[in-house]
Amino acid sequence: MTPVLAATNIGKTYPGVRALHDVSVELRQNEVLGLIGQNGSGKSTLLKILSGMEQPTTGKIRLRGVDTIVRSPLAAASMGIGLVHQEQSLIPNLTVAENIFFDKPSPHRRFGIYNWRGLNREAARQLAKLECDIPPDIKVDALSFPDRQMVEFAKVLAIEELIDQPLVILFDEPTSLLSPSEVEDLFRQIRRLRARASVVFVSHRMEEVLEISDRVHVMVNGENVAERTQDTTSHEELYHLMVGSRRSDDYYQESGREPVEAFEPRLVVGGLTAPGRFRDVSLSVRSGEIVAVTGVAGSGAETFCRAIFGAEDGVVGSVKVAGHELGLSAMPDAAIRAGIGYVPAERKLEGVIVGRTVLENIVLTFGPQMGRIGLINRKKETAQALSWMNRLKVKTPSPVEYVERLSGGNQQKVSLAKWLMSDRLQVLILDHPTRGLDPGAKADLFGVMRELARQGLAIVFVSETLEETLGMADTVIVMRDGEVSARFEDLCLHKPRPEQIVEAMV
Amino acid sequence: MSGDSPEIRAGQVGEQNASIRRIEIARRLRSIAVPVIALAGLFSTIAWVQPKLLSLRALAGLTTDAAPLLMLVMGSAVVILLGGIDLSVATMASFAAVAFVMLNPTLGEFAFVAVLGLAGLVGALQGYVHHRAQIPSFVVSFGSLGMLYGITHFISNATAAPLSQPSAIISFFGSRTAGLPNGVIVVLISAAILGALFRFTRLGREIFAVGASERAALLSGVKTLRVKVLAFAISAICASVAGLLLLGQTGYSSPAMANNYLLPAIVGVVVGGTAISGGIGGIACALVGGLIAGLVRIGTVIVGLNPAYQNIVFGVVIVIAVAITIDREKIGIIK
Repeated sequence: MTPVLAATNIGKTYPGVRALHDVSVELRQNEVLGLIGQNGSGKSTLLKILSGMEQPTTGKIRLRGVDTIVRSPLAAASMGIGLVHQEQSLIPNLTVAENIFFDKPSPHRRFGIYNWRGLNREAARQLAKLECDIPPDIKVDALSFPDRQMVEFAKVLAIEELIDQPLVILFDEPTSLLSPSEVEDLFRQIRRLRARASVVFVSHRMEEVLEISDRVHVMVNGENVAERTQDTTSHEELYHLMVGSRRSDDYYQESGREPVEAFEPRLVVGGLTAPGRFRDVSLSVRSGEIVAVTGVAGSGAETFCRAIFGAEDGVVGSVKVAGHELGLSAMPDAAIRAGIGYVPAERKLEGVIVGRTVLENIVLTFGPQMGRIGLINRKKETAQALSWMNRLKVKTPSPVEYVERLSGGNQQKVSLAKWLMSDRLQVLILDHPTRGLDPGAKADLFGVMRELARQGLAIVFVSETLEETLGMADTVIVMRDGEVSARFEDLCLHKPRPEQIVEAMV
Repeated sequence: MSGDSPEIRAGQVGEQNASIRRIEIARRLRSIAVPVIALAGLFSTIAWVQPKLLSLRALAGLTTDAAPLLMLVMGSAVVILLGGIDLSVATMASFAAVAFVMLNPTLGEFAFVAVLGLAGLVGALQGYVHHRAQIPSFVVSFGSLGMLYGITHFISNATAAPLSQPSAIISFFGSRTAGLPNGVIVVLISAAILGALFRFTRLGREIFAVGASERAALLSGVKTLRVKVLAFAISAICASVAGLLLLGQTGYSSPAMANNYLLPAIVGVVVGGTAISGGIGGIACALVGGLIAGLVRIGTVIVGLNPAYQNIVFGVVIVIAVAITIDREKIGIIK
């Protein structure tokens, strides 16, 4: 049987970079094909080529047995190929129905004038395909993130009406911002749709790819290195293929972990409340302790961590570092002076200063303290920054390379090194520190976190997955709807089962 | 955390510092190369059409005329590096000249300090309002352009006035030392001060950081309010010096004397390679860009074109230069 979509010998070169080299994939009728690979392995580039956002440098695409050139996303849609975007592509101030038909002809829109009733009815029908009851006439910005993803999904499904062939649906890391229960929902939809479409599923989360896909392609450095079927492969094998080394049993460096000694707490947060975001959250972290705060999207876990650092408005309650009460204000200033460091989740927007060098990023906060008032002691601060780059093994062509040219993991280390420059750092808060990192970089970062805790830092972090939470934390605080719903202590003595935590989350 | 690291030996550090320095210098030269070539090209073209440009008198005239403009360009560059814009600079220059003429009879030479201080205060206020009330800087500075324009006309009765009493500072601004126009000396000293600000002070580094990414800078502990207040104050002080240079050249103050300088001032910044989106550029870029704008001003006259062409050229150049230098990724959606 001819594959629905076959890309053969695809190559893509950007100036100076070979993103794809001689990649061939086949998508068969009604199957889910998983694509995994580390960041920069070329999986997103391949999706962009299949959906018409980019043109391949070499190679060809055959769609349903016919040689095809996919010139643009619009052309792709007309051929029955739809991409569900990672960064959502909806227009927030238009209604759900308008968004679904935005890029398609509709009988309910003539000369640019809407027949609202018809359009809404049609949109409701598309949403019904997903058994989803979002009202079609509300604006997209009023929807939650998972609901928006459903609309995005419906937008792609509406292509079905345009052509009379089964669809090809491409998913670009659809789960990176979803909570576990939302991921389950999404998977249910994908399984249902498989009866009438073929799916390509890209993710950096191996567990998920393995769960949903019939076949898996592994990509490394822009090449397709292996193809496996779901029933003949395993986690370990895929990890090995992706990273080139077997995943150690001690990914989170749990050996040699001991219960945290009963020191005086370093960070004490009492009854912190931010109206509409979280209520009455308390927390105490000892020197050397790693506390994970977890919860589904919207549970307030992230905002709570930002609030400790002073990056949220209108917060009441108390934050004490080493016994000293901080004045709560919207400025992170007081928190920084008291010795709190914060590594934000939005790395490129908040974590590092894009457009400045690695060195300048590291010395920005504490470098000037090494000189006299307002003047810079370049020699001293550079030496110290270099020594931290060395210790964290930051990989960069030069210390004065622009920070955006580094890989995600190395950018994260730069963001971290900025705080380590302080000689008074007491508490480190990390918000989704491994988001978007490949497994190798993750392991690296976990190693650094362990090492810093061993040296006596108090660490609070919001993790990307349950696995990370259980692997890293000494104490887990679960939040639901802005309140603490469960606490688990001394994880290295008695680890809770993952189900216990999920139960507290939803 | 302590940062000492035995694994880096002293020799290695020296080597690494040298390589950092090399890369930084190369990068700076690269960033200034295109504007310098453009300046040289423009200069040779004008000299080819009108060889008189190469005479000492013409060169002195050119630099004298360019000095106030260069002050405006350097000041504007500080705010543009921050990611903002100060549209009030030219009006501020007129205001400074008028204020000096009015204050000089009572304050004597102290009028100089008073005018600079007043300008700095107005600038700081603009930065404060812009950041505190979260109003785009072009709106705030556009508003203060209007207010300053009105105030200047009001206090001067909308008439030109000569300097009623000789002032040593102003006559220094208008004369020459060993053939070199003193305006050029003032520009060079100011450039050295601003250059040092960017290279050796926390403030200079933080201006670049805020310009490159305000959110990341804020979360890294940069006091963004203070940075903005100081940047706008510097811009206004530079503008007031520009106004006093003009006063020195003409001996008269008039409420609209610097009005024609706004467009060339912004053109000078962007044509030197400073991105209007912030974070990219510097004082050297501003100097070269300011010279290009100054050369266009004088060049049209020397070549014998109608001065109206100047503004057409500036209008075209500003759009092209911004098109080349703006960082679209940072701004996202352009409105």
